[in-house]
This record gives sequence, structure tokens and C-alpha cells, in this order.
Amino acid sequence: MSFARPRLVLGLAPKIVATQRSIALRSSLVTYRNIHSTRCSHAEHLESRLEGPIRSPPLGAGSLTAKDEPGKDIDPYKDGQSAIDKAVHLFFFTEIIRGMCSEMEPYTIMYPYEKGPLSPRFRGEHALRRYPSGEERCIACKLCEAICPAQAITIESEARADGSRKTTKYDIDMTKCIYCGFCQEACPVDAIVETQNQEFSTETREELLYNKEKLLANGDRAEAEIAANLYSDHVYR
Amino acid sequence: MSFIRYVRNIRRTGIKQWWHQLQYIGDAKAGALVGTDQFGNKYFENLNPDDEVPGRHRWVDFTQHYNNATQVPPEWRSWLSHIRLQPPTEDAVVQSLTPSWKAPWVENLTGTRGAYRSYNTVKPKINAWEPKVITRGEARP
Repeated sequence: MSFARPRLVLGLAPKIVATQRSIALRSSLVTYRNIHSTRCSHAEHLESRLEGPIRSPPLGAGSLTAKDEPGKDIDPYKDGQSAIDKAVHLFFFTEIIRGMCSEMEPYTIMYPYEKGPLSPRFRGEHALRRYPSGEERCIACKLCEAICPAQAITIESEARADGSRKTTKYDIDMTKCIYCGFCQEACPVDAIVETQNQEFSTETREELLYNKEKLLANGDRAEAEIAANLYSDHVYR
Repeated sequence: MSFIRYVRNIRRTGIKQWWHQLQYIGDAKAGALVGTDQFGNKYFENLNPDDEVPGRHRWVDFTQHYNNATQVPPEWRSWLSHIRLQPPTEDAVVQSLTPSWKAPWVENLTGTRGAYRSYNTVKPKINAWEPKVITRGEARP
């Protein structure tokens, strides 16, 4: 008797009986069990070998060898399928069914109706922010342009009539950008940020050459989200 | 068990809603309506792990037939992608940080006439030479 059989009875039978108490299924289970209980080579070998008197091992020998116990050195699975083979066959067969059962479970996230979790530090589409008063934050210090490893940012600046220095040109080539987030780390006034928007794919390449107006528009639309994310991380910054 | 959950969700939402979901999300889901955004997209949540696998417990029902992910405004998107715990209707942080000059959200208009087209925001530094013919006898400037 292999050890696969009790496992089968313990593992499969109660589940099936509990869910669907059908006699047909149970009878098919019995036939399945009968197929597996092949000729038991184990028992008859033991009977043939154990005819002589059973000798106890001599005392004081210290260790037992195969000679001390004749009949114990036989391989009961010599002629048939071994217990491990049976178990392996059973488990590999049921593995398929068990795997398909887990496939039936609804694990797939149905994008765009559902989405996987994102971090508030996720680095997606860029945006230029404004102060709550509506004044744009960027002071044209060009630190982001300097640190950008892909050299995707181009800035030109002018002093305005009120004396404050603002950018006249703030271009990001989104096809060059590697989304490393160095620009938002370099920014001293939190002007350039990377929002959590990752759905800005375009049909043409030209649409990805962002200028200042586009970046400010991104910021104007998503300001509440950006500010909330920065607020949720403010203790770590 | 998946099949039992499916039947249970159909019984909860009703056949009509199940058919509607089958056209879009492709699964029978039942949950509480958390809110509706300015476009009419409905947002649902079901935190019971027996009903929904964690990670699928928030979902959106789009208004438009040809839906895409950018139809979700950013406040709701951050709720939908599990950045914010509370929906923007209840989130005090998002509400207090919403500025008065917030621009209306538009979806990704690529492929349409409303698509963004890049342009230069400064005067070009390099201009093509425009020859000016001066009349004979006129003094050269």
C-alpha cells in the first residue's frame, strides 16, 4: 500500500462529498482507488521470507546490520511501482486540476476599470505647479535642466515687468525623459513635479514635446492630487 | 470559489447590471457606490475579501461607451489606484488643497482634433533671411 492512497482519501474525498453529495462521483472515486491499488508485492514477499524463527539481535553487538535481521533487507517495491512513483503520479496529475482551480479565481485586475496600487511618489507625466495665489512657482533657476541626465529639459528665462524672473520657455522632451525624478528633487520651489498620470500616450511623436503651456495646464488640472501627494509625504522630505 | 461568487454577485446586482458589467468590465461585481464624479463615472468599492480579491476591491463604471483610463479625473484616479485611502468626496486633505483656479479635467485627446500640438513659447532666435530690394539710387541703410 502506497502512502498516496490515504492522502487521496483525506484530501479529495471530503471536499467532493461535502460540496456535491452525488453517488456517481463517489463510485467513480472508488474505481479510481481500485486502479491505483495494484498488486501488493509488499505482503507476499514478507510472508515468504518470514518462515523461519524470528531471531532477536544479539546483545552487546552495539549496532544492527542486515545479517542480524533477515527479511528486513528486502525491497518490498522491487517488482511493482514504488510508493514515490505512485505519489508523484498522483500529485502531478492533481497538480493540473489544482492549478486550473486557482486560475478560476478572479485575480486578474481588469484595467482600466480597476488599477493596481501606485505610490504617491510614482513618477509619471510632468507638471508645473502654481502657488495657491495662482502665481507660477518656477523661478527659472535651471537646476532641473542642469541635473537632467537625459538633457530633456530646455529653459529660457526673462525678467518680468515686476522684476521677478520667470521662464519664457520650459520644454520637456518626453521622448527623451527617463522619468528618474531628479528634476522634482532638484527643484527648490516644488515647481516641476511628476504626477501619477501614466496615461499620456500619444499617437504622434510631436505631441510628446511638451512646452510650458502644456506643463502648466497639467499642473492646473491635477493640482489637488499633486498637493495631496506631497502632503502625504511631507514628513519624509 | 469563483463560480459561487459569480452567481452571488449576479443575485446581488441583478440581471440588468450583470449584463451591463459583462459588456465592460467582463466580470460580475457587487459593491457599494462610493461616489460619482463630474462626468458621471461611478466608483464602487467592496472591501469584503470573500467577495473581491484584495487589489480588485475598487472599480469604476464609465459613462462613455468608448472608455479609457484618462476619463477618470485625477482625484478619483488617485483613489482608484489606491494612492488615497478615502475618496475625494470624503478626503479632507484633497478638499482643502483644491485651489480655486483648478482647471477642468480633459481626457487624453490624442488622435482627435483636440490633441495637443507642440509650439514654441518664445520668439525664434534664428530667422530665415528675407531679402529686401532697395530701389536704384536710394541710399544704403
